Parts: sequence; structure tokens; C-alpha cells
Amino acid sequence: MAESLWGETMIAANTLFTRVVSFSPSVMVTLIVLPVLAGLLGVILPAFGWVPALGSTEFGLHGFEQLMATPGMSRMVMLSFTTSLISTLLAFIMTTLILASYFSSPWLKRIQRLLGPLLVIPHAAAAIAIGFLIAPSGMVSRLVSPWLSGWTSPPDWLYPHDAMGISIIIGLTIKELPFLLLIALGVLAQPDIGNTLRSQHRVALSLGYSPMTAFFKIVLPSLYPYLRLPVLAVLAYASASVEIPLILGPNTPPTLAVAIMQWFNDVDLSLRIKASAGALLQISVTLALLTIWWLLERLVKRLSINSLINGRRDYRDLLWQRITHLLTVLLLSVIGLSLFGMLLWSVAGFWPYPMAIPQQWVGMHWQSALVQMHAPLINTVLIGICSTALAIIITVFVLEAEQQRGKNLSAISSVIIYLPLLIPSITFLFGLVWLQEQVNSHHAFINVVLAHLLFVLPYVFLSLANSYRRVDPRYAAVAASLGAAPVKIFWQIKLPMLLAPILIAIALGLAISFSQYLPTLLAGGGRIETITTEAVALANGASRRVSAVYALMQMFLPAIAFLVAWLIPNILFRRRV
Amino acid sequence: MTISKRLSLSLHLKTAHYHLAARVLFVCLSTSLWPSVSHASTSPDKIWSEIESRGRNQDVYFHAWGGDPQINMYILWVAEQVKQRYSINLHQVKLTNTSEAVSRVLSERSAENHHNGQVDMVWINGENFASMAQHQLLTPNWVSQLPNFSLTNPEHNPAMTRDFGVPTQGMEAPWGQASLSFYYNSTATTVPPLTLLQLLDWSQDHPGRFTYPKPPDFLAMSFLKYALIMLNDAQPTAIKERLYQPASPQSEALLLPVLWQFLDELHPSLWRKGQHFVSSGMTLRRLVGDGELNLAFTFSAAEIPAAIARFDLPSSTRSYKMQDGSLSNIHFVAIPYNAAHIDSAKLVINFLLSPEAQAKKQHIEMWGDSTVLDRSLLTLTQQTLFSTQTAKQDNKQTIPDAAATSMAHYVASPALSEPHPSWTQIIAQQWLSRYGVKP
Repeated sequence: MAESLWGETMIAANTLFTRVVSFSPSVMVTLIVLPVLAGLLGVILPAFGWVPALGSTEFGLHGFEQLMATPGMSRMVMLSFTTSLISTLLAFIMTTLILASYFSSPWLKRIQRLLGPLLVIPHAAAAIAIGFLIAPSGMVSRLVSPWLSGWTSPPDWLYPHDAMGISIIIGLTIKELPFLLLIALGVLAQPDIGNTLRSQHRVALSLGYSPMTAFFKIVLPSLYPYLRLPVLAVLAYASASVEIPLILGPNTPPTLAVAIMQWFNDVDLSLRIKASAGALLQISVTLALLTIWWLLERLVKRLSINSLINGRRDYRDLLWQRITHLLTVLLLSVIGLSLFGMLLWSVAGFWPYPMAIPQQWVGMHWQSALVQMHAPLINTVLIGICSTALAIIITVFVLEAEQQRGKNLSAISSVIIYLPLLIPSITFLFGLVWLQEQVNSHHAFINVVLAHLLFVLPYVFLSLANSYRRVDPRYAAVAASLGAAPVKIFWQIKLPMLLAPILIAIALGLAISFSQYLPTLLAGGGRIETITTEAVALANGASRRVSAVYALMQMFLPAIAFLVAWLIPNILFRRRV
Repeated sequence: MTISKRLSLSLHLKTAHYHLAARVLFVCLSTSLWPSVSHASTSPDKIWSEIESRGRNQDVYFHAWGGDPQINMYILWVAEQVKQRYSINLHQVKLTNTSEAVSRVLSERSAENHHNGQVDMVWINGENFASMAQHQLLTPNWVSQLPNFSLTNPEHNPAMTRDFGVPTQGMEAPWGQASLSFYYNSTATTVPPLTLLQLLDWSQDHPGRFTYPKPPDFLAMSFLKYALIMLNDAQPTAIKERLYQPASPQSEALLLPVLWQFLDELHPSLWRKGQHFVSSGMTLRRLVGDGELNLAFTFSAAEIPAAIARFDLPSSTRSYKMQDGSLSNIHFVAIPYNAAHIDSAKLVINFLLSPEAQAKKQHIEMWGDSTVLDRSLLTLTQQTLFSTQTAKQDNKQTIPDAAATSMAHYVASPALSEPHPSWTQIIAQQWLSRYGVKP
């Protein structure tokens, strides 16, 4: 009733605002569909042998035959498959365990604050930090040597780069977990959902349910629908990510995505055909993983439906709580030690193995880096602000349009938004650069902002959509019945109510933009230097010290954004009280 | 470009893609006919002064590998110089892999952007050059226009016009030369291996302390080519010569088996027992710094003192060349066929070939890259720019003593030339199918 009344009111008011708003979903879909289609075309045509630039204009299955004949093909696919599925499962399970264990404790906020910064560490930097931790000459090995292990020179063990991909799983899990946790906390931060779930949880506690059992039986079933898309995005990303497997993974053979990237970059340009065929295979691997997750979801639902209502109040909660504490401590110390290692490297002089801390402390790495960092720093911030601002405006307008129409985006549009996250970016970006060439755009800055937008927009939308859709429509209905114009309702009621999730979405958007490497490099033709392009170029270089400085800078920037996102609502909230 | 070549080019392109062919042909005709028409009436000096006047006051985008701060600093110095001389703003586009620039030009060509390309200059050699040349992605016949190119004495020094054995056809100007050098941690090992066979023994005595990058990395291929040349050293000359000709199934059967035999013996004693290979030579250096490796190799030994000064390598690091030979090659700068600022790029490249820029580059504290100029053609003043005396004095000021001594250990080493580029792909492919997938 409220829904339809409110819907009619909105449509009746045909102002400039409502017209702009109603137009925005098409803008968003176009902004994503166009480059995605061009990107897909730029993959599909070469995969079937059509590359006029190489003088190949005959369609055929040559690329796929070449692909299948690649030594170790099945190993590559399996490695992509297992590492992404296991890491996503681990990250999801640990997220729910942490939520369950600390649901009504102040520790949840503290853990969020501790893990938040991790979300913003670019994948490459995180991989380097973790690699340093587990490498033979790494922090763990140094801490036990030589007093415990007897090692005076680094042992020759196989981590990182183990053939099973365990190092990749560790890296991906640690990178994915904070994202899922932050999304979940974003959902819980919305007053209506959060308060409802918390009060339901309290009721369960008063009925004698143990806290963790209550969470799994009462909160998780209502919370999971909000987490489904983020989890799927994480899974899709993990299956096609390049940085972490490149730095932590094996290379005899590597994961499929890494192999595709290497074929694309190979000097033998005819490998492009094989790379494109590989990209299509990658897309099907990703789709298969998404399907498996969906099936798993149904299976869990079927298996757990009885236990939800069996009335059992406790499933060894204390044990599980201890396990969660242990896991959390382990997780935080892995992260802490990695970050500590980075900090040490950035100021290290001589630091021979097996010393746990450097022999000498120097500021030269920071000094020389800060001198060269000036222009990249400005570029990074400007591009981040432009792409995030565009993403936020589009997202908010699209979500407002949904409410004015009284229905959510069509299923097709919803899938389209996530396309940039589902297609391996290296293949997709080759098509994008081609498109930008077609429209003869030589404004590298604009090209880069638009390329970033493709990756920022889905995340911003993902992080904001649920909150926006859950805003109680009765507020708007009441305001409308009192004669408020849609534009006023939008600015004075909805946006202030959504301040916290919007700020988190902005911080997330900035973080995503800051960490983009391939889009910056390809769309900018290499002319736009950001902290991230510099950091990745240096990560391939020989100095762990200089790359530590850049990685720390990379963390510092988005950390500021998240700090602000966290501070503003707190300050405003305090004032109101 | 001769008429017949131009015709064959146009025929080849017509079969490939008619529109493209027409456009490229137009570009080729207009760029290659123009100098030959004007040649009749104007002298080379006149052509150069026209290039100079057209090339001023522009931006030039130099796509060059950006992984070494020392090299980046040198390019920054070049940028200051050309700014002063020609008001040219030289921007280094820092690549992690030169093939990124190749892809860029290729995608521009497939988008039919034939005149306003984003890459003005590219630092290149070997396979990347062969690949770009094969796909006609480079501006041909401009190198001889550069006044300073004659200082390389190309008539008497064929290496300046051949890149991995492939004629450059005026498509790229030489920039510097380097040779494969080894370095080791002298506290961990007092006697480094001095020949390839000693390397095998050394590695078996020090398991896990040596490795090489994974092909098709440039440095990896260089190591494999060095091994291939040395292992076939005892073969009759007629067979050895096949390394410098395009590879064929017969020559593969004659030359490659010894390489695989050697690697089968070497791999079990490598770092990670040969189950994982590093991605680049830079990673080798980091692993030596971490103490995981005690022996590694590089194409620019001059980077070692600087790395010591930055604490990236232990001060006990020493570099040397293998006694049985060191692979050496020349690296080049090229201009893509569709560069937006061709004339400005020529001005910059001519400056790169000036005695001043070459001398600066050769200094250990700057880059340490050997000059391509023929010293005998230089004036006395120009020669003093290169004198080791100045280099050493500079050395003392900028590099700690321990670092300076890292270069002292030197063994006379014959230069080995690069095999024909066709070998690179064959070795890489066979390596990947043999060792690229671990059971």
C-alpha cells in the first residue's frame, strides 16, 4: 500500500530532477555495456582467428586448438578453480565466524578498524607483504632463526610459489575477508536492518540460545541475501585475478589468468589468438565457479533447514568461540607482521639474514621516493576523486530511479553492472583501448577516469544498493504527503539517512580506483603515472625497500578516506545526541 | 626502401587488408618519397636543419622499461638536456615489459590510427624489434639522417646496423651495449665458477643457491643462449655457424640436445630444485640481497655498486665475467611508424647519440652502459668525457669504497654474439614444454 502510494506520488511530479533521475539507469547501463561489448568483441573475434592487424582474417578454431595443446592446461584451470573457490569459502566462513562470535561485542568495531586498512592495500602490495612473511628469508623464518631452527642462511623451502597454490589461497583469503566483513558491517550499519537483527538476536539470547548459535539461526539467514552478490564478485575476481597468483603462485604452470596475461604480453603477437581463446575459457571457468557457489548455497539451505527450527540452543559454542578467537588472532598477527615487515623494509639499511630487525636504519628510501612521488600522487588522487564522484552520482540516481519507478532494476541490468567484475580485466581492457582509439579520444586522463569508473561503479553500487533499497519508504511517503517535492525528499531525507553507507561507498570507490593498475596503464597509454603503476613497476624491480615505501603510500591514501568515512557520521551523530 | 621492396610490401598488405594496405602504402610513399625527392635539391645538413626546426617545442613520449631507478634518473637528465636545447618535453612512459609498447602500436594500427600514435620513441632490441619490424610497425630509413649516427662508424662496425643478426634497415638507432655478467656474495662463496661447466659443479656443491629466470624472460633467454653457445663450442664450425642463421629442424637436432642434457643435470641443484623459476633478473638481485641466492647474473653489472649503496645487495657482492665468454648485445631506440612527433623524436635520439650523452651514460655512477660510439672518431675533448679518470673521481664521491671495489674483480672474457632471433622462440617453447609443467 505504502509502496504504490509513494510510487504514484513520485511519478506525478515531473520535474527536472525526476527526469534526470529516470534517465540515469540507461546512462549507467550504456557506460558499462558499451566498453564491455567492445571488450568482449575484442576477445571473441581474435579467439576465432580474426585479427586484421596481424593479417589474420579467417575464422577458425586455431586459437582453441593451440590453447588445448598448451602443456599443463588442465593444471592451470584446476589451480584457478581450487584457489579461488577455497579462498572465497575460507574468507566467507571466517567472516561469518567473526560476525557470529563478536556480534554484540565492541570487538566487532575494533576488528573492523583493524581490518579496514587491509581492504585498501592493493593486491600486489599485499602479496609482496605476505610473500615476505612466508618466504625462506621472510619474517617467520627470521624470528625463529637461528636460536630455534639453527638456520644461518635461508632454508630452501617451497613457500611461497608452492605447486598446490596454498600461498595464493592465503593471499586471496586475507584480501577478500576484510571486503566481505566491511560489506556485512555496512548492511548492519543501516538502522532498520541492523536494529531488527540485533533485537532478534537479543530475543534469541533471552530464549537461551548461545550467541553464536543465535547468530547462525537468526541473523545469518536474513543477512546472507545482502552478502550474496559481494561474495559472487569476490569469487569471480579471485578466479581471474593476476597480481596475487603472479607474486605468490607457482609458475610451472601458473594459474590460467596469469598465463593469459603472459600470452597477451608476449612478443610473439600471434599468441594473441591463443590468449583470446584462453580469455573465453577463463570466462567459462568463472561462470562455472559462480554456478558451483549457487549450487552449494542451495545444498546448504536444504541441509540446514531442519536445524534452524529444531530448537537446539547450543552447538559447542564455547569451542567455536575459542577457535574463532584463535583464527582472529592468527589473522591479525599475519597482517600485523606483514605490515611491520613492510615498515621495516622501508627504513632498512643493512639487514642480513637471519637478523629479525635491520642492522641499520635509514631514511633514504623515503627521501628519494617522496621526491619522485609528487606527480603520481596528484594523478592518483584526482583520478580517484573523479571516478568515485561519477560512480556515486550515477549509483545514487539509479537507486533513486528504482524507487520512483517502484521496482528494482531489471535482472539484465543488474547483471550488466557486474560484468566488469566477471570478465578478466586484461582481455576486457584490450577491447576498451581499441574502443577509445575508435572514438579517437586522446585525452589520457579522461580515458583513465572512464576505465576506472568501470571497476569503481560496480563496487560502489554493490556497497550502496542494499542500504538504499532498504530505506524505509514510509519516510518518503510521509514527506510526500506533506507536500515535499521529490528533490527535497532526496536531498533532505534520504541522503542524510544514508550518510554512513554513502561515505563507506565513497571510501571504497576511492580505494578501488587507487589500486587499479591495468586500467590506468592501458587506457592512459602509460602516460598517467599513479602511485600504483609506479609501485607495480617497482615491485618487478629489485628493491624491496623502495617498493615497501610505495606500498605504504598506497595504503596511506585510502586509509585517510576510510578514516574520514568513519569519522563524519560519528561526529554528526554525537552532535545530534 | 627500394621500389621492389615497397611493391612487395604493398602486395603483402593488399592480401591482408585492402583499406589498411592503401593507407599504409600512402604513409610509406609519403614518408619515403619525400626525402628522396628533396634529396636531389637539398643536402643532408639542410634536411637535418628542417627536422630541427619542425621538431622543437613539442612533447615526446619515450616508452622505456622503468624498473631501474638509475636508468630512470639518466632519462630524466636527458629530458632536462633536450628541454634546454630544443624546448622538447621528454616524458618517460615506464614500461614493465617492452611488449606493452608493441601492443599499444598494434592496437593503434588495428584502429587505423596511422598518424597520431601515442608512442614517439621506444627502447627496444632483439625479439621486440624483430616482431615490430615483421609487422611494419616502425618508421624505416631515418637513422642515417641523424648527424651523430656517423660517430658509431656504421661502415666499419656492422653491429650498429644489426639487431640479433637482423638488419635494422634504418629503423632503429643504437643506444648502448651490455654483456652478460655474473655476481656473487663473496662471504658465502670465495671462488665463483668461471666457466659454464664450473657453474654446474658449483651449483651441485651449493644446492639451492643459484637459479635463472623463467623463459621467455630476456635474461633467462640470454643465459640459455650463453649455455647453448658454450656447450656447442667443440662442434665443427659449420655446425656452430647455424646458430647465427634461422633455426631449422635439422640445426635444432644438431645443437639443442646438449642444452637439455645440461639443464637436466643442473635443475635438481637449483633454487627450489628447479620447481619454481623467478620472473625476472630483478628478482634474482633481490634474492641475492635476501641471502637466498649466492650467485646470479645481469646484463648491467654497473647496477651492482648502486644497489650496494642503496643496501639492496650486501657490500660483499662482487661482479665478474665468465672466462669462457660473455654474451653481448646492443640495445636500440626506434620510432613507431605512426608516432605523432617523429621529428622531435629524431632530435632526442640524435642527442642520445651525442658524445656528451653517451659519456654520461657510461659513467658507473650514472648507468654504466657502454657507449656505441667509435672513440677513434671523437675529438680529444670529446674523448676526455669518457676518460675513466673522471669516472673514478666521481665514483669516490658518490659510492662507498666497498661498493666501488665490487667492480674490481674482472676476468678477461671473449664477447659472444647473439644467435639469430628465431632461436629464441624455439628454445623458449621447448623449455616450457620440458620444464614448464612439473609432475
